Amino acid sequence: MKRKEIIGGIIVLFLVTSLCGFLLAEVYKATSPKIEKQKRLEEEKLNKEIFPEGEKFEKVKKGDVEYFVVYDKKKRKIGRIYTIKSLGYGGYIYLKVGIDNNFKIKGVKILQHNETPGLGAKITEDKFLNQFKNIGIENLYLKKDNPKGKIDSITGATISSRAVVNGIRKLMEKIKNEKID
Amino acid sequence: MKRLIDFKNFTKGIWKENPVLYLMLGLCPLLAISGSVSDSIGMGIAFTFVLVCSNIIISLIRRFVPAHVRIPVFIVIIATFVTITDYSVAAFSPQLHKNLGVFLPLIVVNCIVLGRAEAFASKNNVINSFLDGLGMGIGFTIIIVFMAVIREGIGNGTIMGRPVFPENYKPFLFMILPPGAFLVIGFLIALKNTIEGRRKC
Repeated sequence: MKRKEIIGGIIVLFLVTSLCGFLLAEVYKATSPKIEKQKRLEEEKLNKEIFPEGEKFEKVKKGDVEYFVVYDKKKRKIGRIYTIKSLGYGGYIYLKVGIDNNFKIKGVKILQHNETPGLGAKITEDKFLNQFKNIGIENLYLKKDNPKGKIDSITGATISSRAVVNGIRKLMEKIKNEKID
Repeated sequence: MKRLIDFKNFTKGIWKENPVLYLMLGLCPLLAISGSVSDSIGMGIAFTFVLVCSNIIISLIRRFVPAHVRIPVFIVIIATFVTITDYSVAAFSPQLHKNLGVFLPLIVVNCIVLGRAEAFASKNNVINSFLDGLGMGIGFTIIIVFMAVIREGIGNGTIMGRPVFPENYKPFLFMILPPGAFLVIGFLIALKNTIEGRRKC
């Protein structure tokens, strides 16, 4: 290869990459506030669905755990919302769980999962998730696993159902000595 | 013979040289996304946008790019458009962004885009490259949406989330799972070959 060709190639690559880099920087500048806003809105919407009476959600970081402290209209602390992951049938299930002052579950929302469509994927349906409302740690088992349990597992998707239940119980065991309000 | 504007470049991507059914390219996002009609439409639009833009730019600069650095130059240009698309979808339709997941950034390495850049845009003028990109993009979109209609319809009983069968229809789950995608694409390729009477390879 001749010297001239090599230099020509270097110049073209340099020009193309710097132009593209410049363009991308501009697009990033234009879109990133919007992306941030969308993420915040999404988070707020989910929080509000779990704690409808919550007025303010404050992000707290404690060691490697992050959670939202929920305040009501009178600025009292009424609970917390945690994001946890639990190993299901097709990988990790990411979910948000709200816990109130009496250590009862306020609500559960599935953020992301990889369970089988039509079977395990039913963990996102209200029919399954509504069972968790007002359940404390002592009843947080599948009915078929423990006589004290109050949660019906999904037909054909015991592993996915169990993953949700166990993930939340693990979290509640970890925080049961903390004071929420 | 090369004409300045040749509409065959547009129509060939839709049927005769359809990127999926004839060139057998870009099957990965096709198989992965075609389980849902609305995601497929989003994927098709994003993909067509990237393909058209990269084809135009590559065709514009084809005379200035020395042959030995053309592949990195193509990849940089394609990656730029993919990233622009990625940011825009994240900003304007976060739900679609979530559903398309990793397949949106992966358009960078989609063989249709690089394949058209190398095989067509780097040798033809801007207008023809534009037509080629548009045709190929629409060809891809038609197939992915068509597959999604079949898979979501039979496998989940819905199209774009709305039920299409009577209530007592029991969804044939297999279609929406990965094997269903292989089955449908196999039948589509066979169908195209039958219509064209090309039973022999």
